[in-house]
Amino acid sequence: MADQKLVKLKINDREVQVPQGTLVIEATRRIGTEVPSFCYYPGLSLQAACRMCLVEVEKAPKLQTACTLVATEGMIVRTDTEQVRQARKYMLEFLLTNHPLDCPVCDKGGECELQDMVFRYGADSSRFVEEKIHRPEEKWSELVYYDAPRCILCFRCVRVCDEGMDVKALGVGMRGANSVIIPNREDHLECEECGMCIDICPVGALTSGTYRYKTRPWEMNYVSTVCTHCSNGCKTTLSVRNHEILRSNNRDLSGINKDFLCVKGRFGFDFTKHPERIRQPLVRKGDKLLPVSWEEAAQAAASKLKAIYDANGKDAIGFIGSNRTSNEENYLLQRMARGTFGTNNIDHHRTADYTGLVTALGDRAADSLLTMEQLYESKAVLLIGNDPTNQNPLVGWQVRSGIRHFGTKLFVINSNEIKLKRKATQFVKITAGLESAVFKWLAHEEGQLATALVEQLVLLKAELEAASDVAIVFGAEVSGAAIAQLVAFGSKLPGKTRYMLLGDYANSRGAADLGVLPDRLPGYAYVDDARAREGFETLWGGVIPSKAGLTEPQMVEAAQNGAIKALYVVGANPFAHFGTLGYGRGKLDLLIVHEMFLTETAKVADIVFPAASAYEKDGTVTNTSGEIQLLHKAAEVMGPRTDFDLLRILSHQLEKLGLGKAFHYKTPAAVFEEIRKAVPAYNVASAGLLTGGAEATRVQFALNGHAPYDVPVGLIRSAEDTLFTSGTLGRFCTMMDSVPEAKAKP
Amino acid sequence: MELSPTLAVKFEKLQTSYPVKRSALIPMLMYAQDEYGCVSDEMIAEIGRRLDLNNVQIEETLAYYSMLHRKPTGKNHVQICTNVACMLKGGYEMLDRAKRRLEIGHKETTGDGVFSLEEVECIGACTGAPAMQVNYDFYENLTPLKFDRIIEELDAGRRPTPEAVISGALHERHATETPLISKRWGIKDSHKIDVYVMHDGYQALEKALREMTPESIIDEVKKSNLRGRGGAGFPTGMKWSFVPKDSPKAKYVICNADESEPGTCKDRPLMEMDPHQLIEGMVIAGRAIGSHQGFIYIRGEYRYVLDIVDAAIAEAYERGYLGKNILGSGFDFDLLIHTGAGAYECGEESALMESLEGKRGYPRIKPPFPAVVGLYGCPTIINNVETLSAVPSIIREGGEAYANRGTPKNGGTRMLCIAGHVNKPGIYEVPLGMNMKKFIYEVAGGIPGGKKIKAVIPGGSSCPLLTGDEIDIAMDYDSVAKAGSMLGSGGMVIMDEDTCMVDMARRIMQFYAHESCGWCIPCREGTTWLRKILERFHAGLGRAEDIDIIADLAKNMLGRTFCPLGDAAAMPTISIMKKWRKEFEQHLQGRCPYKSAEALVGSR
Repeated sequence: MADQKLVKLKINDREVQVPQGTLVIEATRRIGTEVPSFCYYPGLSLQAACRMCLVEVEKAPKLQTACTLVATEGMIVRTDTEQVRQARKYMLEFLLTNHPLDCPVCDKGGECELQDMVFRYGADSSRFVEEKIHRPEEKWSELVYYDAPRCILCFRCVRVCDEGMDVKALGVGMRGANSVIIPNREDHLECEECGMCIDICPVGALTSGTYRYKTRPWEMNYVSTVCTHCSNGCKTTLSVRNHEILRSNNRDLSGINKDFLCVKGRFGFDFTKHPERIRQPLVRKGDKLLPVSWEEAAQAAASKLKAIYDANGKDAIGFIGSNRTSNEENYLLQRMARGTFGTNNIDHHRTADYTGLVTALGDRAADSLLTMEQLYESKAVLLIGNDPTNQNPLVGWQVRSGIRHFGTKLFVINSNEIKLKRKATQFVKITAGLESAVFKWLAHEEGQLATALVEQLVLLKAELEAASDVAIVFGAEVSGAAIAQLVAFGSKLPGKTRYMLLGDYANSRGAADLGVLPDRLPGYAYVDDARAREGFETLWGGVIPSKAGLTEPQMVEAAQNGAIKALYVVGANPFAHFGTLGYGRGKLDLLIVHEMFLTETAKVADIVFPAASAYEKDGTVTNTSGEIQLLHKAAEVMGPRTDFDLLRILSHQLEKLGLGKAFHYKTPAAVFEEIRKAVPAYNVASAGLLTGGAEATRVQFALNGHAPYDVPVGLIRSAEDTLFTSGTLGRFCTMMDSVPEAKAKP
Repeated sequence: MELSPTLAVKFEKLQTSYPVKRSALIPMLMYAQDEYGCVSDEMIAEIGRRLDLNNVQIEETLAYYSMLHRKPTGKNHVQICTNVACMLKGGYEMLDRAKRRLEIGHKETTGDGVFSLEEVECIGACTGAPAMQVNYDFYENLTPLKFDRIIEELDAGRRPTPEAVISGALHERHATETPLISKRWGIKDSHKIDVYVMHDGYQALEKALREMTPESIIDEVKKSNLRGRGGAGFPTGMKWSFVPKDSPKAKYVICNADESEPGTCKDRPLMEMDPHQLIEGMVIAGRAIGSHQGFIYIRGEYRYVLDIVDAAIAEAYERGYLGKNILGSGFDFDLLIHTGAGAYECGEESALMESLEGKRGYPRIKPPFPAVVGLYGCPTIINNVETLSAVPSIIREGGEAYANRGTPKNGGTRMLCIAGHVNKPGIYEVPLGMNMKKFIYEVAGGIPGGKKIKAVIPGGSSCPLLTGDEIDIAMDYDSVAKAGSMLGSGGMVIMDEDTCMVDMARRIMQFYAHESCGWCIPCREGTTWLRKILERFHAGLGRAEDIDIIADLAKNMLGRTFCPLGDAAAMPTISIMKKWRKEFEQHLQGRCPYKSAEALVGSR
C-alpha cells in the first residue's frame, strides 16, 4: 500500500490526508469525527439508504451522503453545520414514526444504535400523531426472532447473509413503508444459523433465541477470549452475568475474525452449564464411579500411577492429550510424561498433519505459514480438500471476503462439491484419495492421470503461476509425504507461496506445537535431537528418552493387549475415536481421565477428574494458522478445575511419593513464560496478545536428518465436524442441537 | 411442476433470451400468473430451478411488484384508477359503484371467484378518464351506465370489447399542431411494417447505416437539441456521447416504456400506433453507441401494447431491420421487449435496470451513471419512448430542421397529454415552446362549463402545480422551470375552480406513499407520514399545527432522498401548501368546502 496516492481534504477546517479512493465517511472517522450512519457498514456493499451521513460539501448544491462520496483533492467537507444537524434530526424523526419505542423491554436497549443516535442527534419531542404500522413478532428459528416494527430497514442483515455468508437466506418483502425483512422459508429460516444477522442488526429487530429477555446489557461483564470449537480461533466476547455466560459475540470487531462468528462460536456455550457436567472427582468402586473428595482422588491417582511405574516401568504408561486444552496445559502434560515419568508415550487425536507440514517446509516454515489476515489478502487461494464452510468457517469467511474486497481468485480441488465451489474461479473435482497424485503431477508433471483432469490441472497451474502470491490451504486429506509433494509444487511457483493446514478443534495446532506427540518435543524438535532434549531436561529434571513413543492409535491398541498398563487421558475420547469393534480399556490396569462429561472413555475410567472448559480458564491457544491468542476466564462453574490445576496437584502428589519434580507454576502465565523461553516459535511479543490480538508463531527447529514420511493410515483423522457438531462439546450444546439444520445430513 | 405446453415454450424462450438468466424472472412470474391466477409455491420452486435462484430471491422480487400476487384474484380482476386525472373525472365514484355492485372491497374477491376489485394507481389512460382495467383490458370514459354494462357482460362470461386505442389520441388535428412523430396515427394499420415503410419508415435507418458514422449520428442528435422526454429533459445527444467508445464490455440500449407518471399517457399511443418508429429509433441509437442489444421495458399494465410491439419486432426481424447484418451493413442489433409488473419506481432509470435484471426495483447509487455502468454493469443508454421515436425524424430531416421546429435549446415537437377538467382531453403534438394558456384554451377546448382554472399540473404529478394565473408561459423546458415548475413528462392535468386542493394534495401523496420503494428513510417514512396527515386533515380531523408540519416534512424530504421520487412527492406538496394554504385553513372548520356534507361521511 506504500505506493498508494494520497489526497488532501478539509473536514471541519481540519486538513486530512487519506489514500485515494477513501470514502468521506472513513476520512471523517480517521480524525475522530463521527458521521452517523445505519446502513453503512465497512466491508459490505454501499447503500446510501439511511441518509444519516449527509454532510455539506462545498460547491455541491445539496447535502451529500458521506458513505458514497469519494474524497478528492481539495474537497471541503463540513459535518456539523446547522443544515447537517437539522437533516439528521429529521431523518431520525422519520425513522421513529413507525418504530414502537419499546426500549424498556427491548433486548437492544442500552446498546442500540438507534437509541444512541436519537440521544445524540435527535429531536426532543415527536410530532407524529398518526397510527403506527404494527406487525406481530416472528420466530424464524430457535435462534433467530424478527420484530418488524423495530426494523429500520438498513439491510445490513440481508447483505451480511448474502455477501458475507453467501447463504442468501434473507430478503426484503413488501414495498415502501410496509417493507419487511423476510426469511427464505416463508415463515422460518433454513440456513447456517450463524446469527450474523442478529449481531449486525443496529436495533432490536433481530434478536437471539438464547439471549432474548434474559438481562440488560449493563448488567453483564464482557470477557474477551477465544472460541473453543473449531481450529480457526475466532476471538469472542462473552457476556457474563453472575458467572454465567449469556451471550457470545464480537461486536468491537477486534481480533482475527473481526465480527465474524459461526453458529458454534455464537451459540455453542451452553455446554458449560449442562446438567450432565461432572462436578466432583469420581473413583471406580466395583462397577460404579462414585464421587469422592479431591484428596482421595488425587492421592489414589498418584499412588496407582507410581505403583505401575515401579512394577512395569516407565513405558507401561501412556498419555493422551487434548485438542482443546490450553497451550500451557499441553506443555505441562507432556512435561509430566517426559519429565516426571520419562516416557515419550504421549500423543493426541491428530486431526491434521501439522508435523508433516513443518517437516516438509523445514527451514522455510518460519515465514511460509499463512495467517488468517494474509489469507484474506491473498491474490490467489488454492484450496485442497476440506469443506471450510462446515469445518473451518472463518477460513471460508476470509476467502469470501478476499474475493469480495480484493478480487481474490479461488481454486478448489475437492472430491466433494463443497459450497465454496460457487465462489471458485476453477473447481477441479477429483476422486477421494487422489490428492497425492494430483500434487505429484503439479510438481513434476509425473504420473498417470485422466486426460480430462490433466487438462484442468494445466489451466490451474497457469493461473497460479500468474499470481503474485498464492495461499495454499488444505485439509486432513493431505498428509505426510503428500504434503512434501504439495510444498514441492508450491515452492516452484514464481510468486510468494504460503500454506495453511486445516485441522479441527480449538487447540490442535497448539497440541502439536507443544510436543503432545511421541516423536517431537515442544517446538517440533525430534526426540532424538540430543541438544533439544538436554534443554528440556535442564528445565524439568529427569531423563527424556531418545526413542519415539507410541502414537494414540498405538496406545489404544497397546491397551487392548496389555502392552501398556496405565493410560492418562486429558480432554480426549480415544475409545470413541479409535474404539471400533469392541475396543475399550482392554487390559489396562489404570485409566485416569480429565473430562467435562462422562464420555465413552470417562465411563470406563478408574478415576475421573472434573475438568474446566476453555471458557472457564486463563491461558493461551494456537489456532490452525499458528496464531497465539489469550484465553480469559469468563464463566465459573462449581466443581471442575482446570487441567493446569489438576496436573499441578498430581505433580505435587507424585513428588511426595518420590517421583519427579512438583510443578511450581503459580499461573498459566508463568508456564507461558517458560514456553516462550524454551520454544523459539512461541517467543512472540506479548503486547499484541494482551490487547486481544493474535501473534503468529514462527516455527523453527532442526530436521536432525529426518525427512517427510508417509504417516500410517488412521493416525490423521479429520473430526469431520459440521457447523452443528463439535466433538464432545457439541453433544452437550442444547441450543445448537435445537435447530433442524443440525439434524440434516451435511 | 408440470407446465402447460404454451407456458413451457414461453419459459424455455425466456430462459435463453437474456445475457443473464435472472432477467427472465419478472416476465416468467407474470406469464405464470396469467395462466394460474397467482404465483404458487410450486411455481416459485419451478422458476427457481430454471433460473438458479433460491426462493427468497424470488419472493422478494415478487413482493415488490403490485401486479404480482401470491393468492388468486378473481377471474375478472377489476382495477379502478383513482389517481389525479381519474379522480377529477369521477374515479372515486366509479370505485364506490364497483364496491356496491360487486359487494366487495379493495383487494377482495367475490365468493364465486368471478370478480376481484382493486383501487389502482395511474394506468396510463388519463385522457380517457375515468378508466379501469379488467385484467389487461382497458375501459375508458366510464359512466355509471357503461360500468354496469361491462360488469353485466363479464358476469355473463363474455368479454366486452376493450378500447382499441387510447381515448383522446385520435382526434381532428388542431391548426397549431405539427404532427411529426404522431403523423401516422389514424392511418389504417399504422402499426404494420408495410404501412410504416410506405410512410417514410426505415428510411432513417438506411441513411444511418449507409451514409453515416456513429459519430455523425450522435452529432446530428446533438444538433437537433432533442432533450429527454421522460421528465428530466437531459440533452439526448450528450447522453449518448458519454458512452465510452473503447469499453470491451457489451453495450445496451434501453427504451424506458414504463410510463407511469400520473397524468401521462403519450408513450402508449406512440407504441400501439407506431411501434416501428420506436424500433427504428432504437436500432439507430444502437448504431450510434456501438450496441448490439436493445430492450424495451414496458409497464406490466400495457400488455396489449406489448403484444403489438412484439409483433412489430417480429416483422422487423423478418424484413431484416433487426438481427444480423441489418440492410447488408454488417451491423447487428437484437431487440427484446420486457414486461414490468407494476412499480412506478421502475421508471427511474437505474431502478429499471435492477428490475430488468430480475430484482426489486431499487435505484442505484450514482455515479457511476448508466452510460458507463448500466445494465449488467455495462455501458447503457436509456431513453424514453418519445425520445427514441423522435430519432428517425431527426436522422431523416436533419438535426437542424428538427431543432427549428421548437425554440432555441428546446428542439422539436412535444407530445402533450391533457386531462382533467378540459373539454377536449387528448394527446397532441405541438412545437416546443407553445403558450400553455393558448394550448389549454384553444387546442384542448377550454374548461367545461366555462369555469375558471384553479390549478395546472404541467407535466405529471411530480411537478409543482401552477395556479390559473401562472399559465401564460411558453411550454419549453426552460420557461416552465422559470415559472417554478417543470415540463416533465408532458402529462398536463387541469383542475377547475371547484377542485379541493387538500384532496388533491392527499391523492398525490397517496400515490407516492404507495410507490415509494422503501429504500431510503426520508421517502419511505416521509411519504407515509404525509399521506396519513393529509388523509386525516381532509377527513376534517386536521389541527392548525398540521399545516406547518405538512410543509415542513415535505421540505425536509426535498433533496435528501436517494432518488428523485422523494423530490417528486415533496415538490407538488410544497407548491400546494404555498399556493393554497387558505384551503387548508378552511378545512380546519371541520368540513371540506368543496364537497357536500354527505360525501364526507365515510370520507376516504
